[in-house]
Amino acid sequence: MSLALVVDLILNAIAQSALLFLVAVGLSLVFGVLRVMNFAHGVFYMLGAYLGFTVVARSGSFWLSLVLAPVATGLLGGLLERTTLRYIYRRPPIYQLLLTFGLALVLEELVRVVWGPSALPVDPPAGLEGAVTILGAVYPRYRLFLVVLGMVTGVALWFFLQRTRVGLVIRAAAQNDEMAACLGTDVARVRTGVFAAACALAAVGGVAAAPMTTAYLGMGIGVIVDAFVVVVIGGLGSIVGSMAGSLIVGIAQTWGGFYFSEAAMAIMYLVMGLVLIFRPWGLFGEEE
Amino acid sequence: MAPLRRWGPVATLVVLAVLPWGLARHQLSLLTDLLIFSLFALSLDLIMGYTGMVSFGHAAYFGLGAYGSALLLIHFEVPIPIALLGGALGAGLVAWPVGYISTRATGIYFAMLTLAFAQLLYTLAYKWRALTGGSDGIAGVPKTALWWGGPSLVEPRAFYFLILVSFLVAFVLCRALVRSPFGRALQAIRENERKFATLGQDPRRFKVIVFVIAAALAGLAGALSAPFRGFASPEAMFWLLSGQALMMVIIGGIGTLVGPAIGAMVFVLVQEVLSSYTEHWMLFTGAIFVLMVIFLPGGIVGAARRRFAA
Repeated sequence: MSLALVVDLILNAIAQSALLFLVAVGLSLVFGVLRVMNFAHGVFYMLGAYLGFTVVARSGSFWLSLVLAPVATGLLGGLLERTTLRYIYRRPPIYQLLLTFGLALVLEELVRVVWGPSALPVDPPAGLEGAVTILGAVYPRYRLFLVVLGMVTGVALWFFLQRTRVGLVIRAAAQNDEMAACLGTDVARVRTGVFAAACALAAVGGVAAAPMTTAYLGMGIGVIVDAFVVVVIGGLGSIVGSMAGSLIVGIAQTWGGFYFSEAAMAIMYLVMGLVLIFRPWGLFGEEE
Repeated sequence: MAPLRRWGPVATLVVLAVLPWGLARHQLSLLTDLLIFSLFALSLDLIMGYTGMVSFGHAAYFGLGAYGSALLLIHFEVPIPIALLGGALGAGLVAWPVGYISTRATGIYFAMLTLAFAQLLYTLAYKWRALTGGSDGIAGVPKTALWWGGPSLVEPRAFYFLILVSFLVAFVLCRALVRSPFGRALQAIRENERKFATLGQDPRRFKVIVFVIAAALAGLAGALSAPFRGFASPEAMFWLLSGQALMMVIIGGIGTLVGPAIGAMVFVLVQEVLSSYTEHWMLFTGAIFVLMVIFLPGGIVGAARRRFAA
């Protein structure tokens, strides 16, 4: 195996992990604060890709779409949390999963109504087209951008949650929402905010993925199942866990795909099975 | 409520037995489909409603049953009951290791694990072209006879009664199961798993067993669907079907035996009516479902019980 191939595989794995991370971290955050497993999360990723396509088509600017699409998706997410999820927080967790499943069906169909059934291609922005040579490997510039985007988002998110006052409030609400409410936190607002932010993050992932994968129906479901595996491996509610999980799944997918092609999926689930046998709550999760 | 309780089942049975002679061909096939989904939803409620294990991958076992019976029917032309048995056993057999691993987790983690395994099985069915025909599936599954040289089941009404009998057998079986000491144990696990464990029993053993039973019943439903529709395809294992089964159980009434059947009926009929008006029927079923989760947590049966009890 040549060095160029190794470099290529490593970079592919990291780029794949970066996209996964953008989706999984929101899923994990929402679970940490709202205790909701959001089945619709993947649909917000898809929505991001489609909205991104429209913004690029109208304005010609990829960078504008990277801002506008997530904002719009976040607003929609916040609105949906306020009008549906808010009323059933006291129920057993499965009802929230089912509710978001219903939302996912509605949103998926809405996208089909608005944008039609065929896949929509998005061009990478000027300056990120073409390829560069790294250690002998010819590598697409755009994927390097994905790596940077994932890393920057991860670090920024970590700083936001650990080092700012709002982050502190969010962590307090995640740890003990009743106590946080007693100390004067408007927990309902925190929940809406976190849900909206997670949807926006997923949309960032969707916009960023579109130049690589196109925007297509079903991309939300594909990614949500992968993201579930990521958070189950990493542990729900943990940012570091989402990072580790994304890396593990990203590596399993790309390297597994290279060595075993058809069996790549199987490897991902095999890893998950192993983690669960030894740590049923995930690598960085805490037992409930 | 008391007269409904006594005469309801008898009336339902009579209607189900007479109905085939009053229905058009298309309507009879819809009714047959409905019974298959009822059986499928019933099997899910066994683990979801009675044991508190929400599986988001139940379609995998429906699909395994469908492939199992399709392969037996096409390659060996066995009588239908053997194919049904084969499909159910195959689904149960695969469910055993999946259940063993998945029951290490509970709640949402369990749901996610079952979903992941189901997606894995779906991919296998999709990619293993030599055995499953890939995305085309297996077409031309014959409706063979009741036994070797026995009466043929090609006639739609005959097949309807085969499915009706299968459903009734499964229903009586589930009823006996949830009322048995084993069933009581399952409900105790649902209410408080830790307390159950402190009584000196291992809850996981019970959970794995009921998971396998539920998968075998889902397999039976799938095994019936393959000769009925004439094909088995990977769509039968897709997560969408798992989600729809959950919808049926919730709409009808979780933790009841008739609930899933009612839910399946409502679901199939709503879909049938809506799809004749718009191709985007999923939009409306999704919205209806969201409203039901918010306003009607006990489903139709739960709401009816509250009303009659008051």
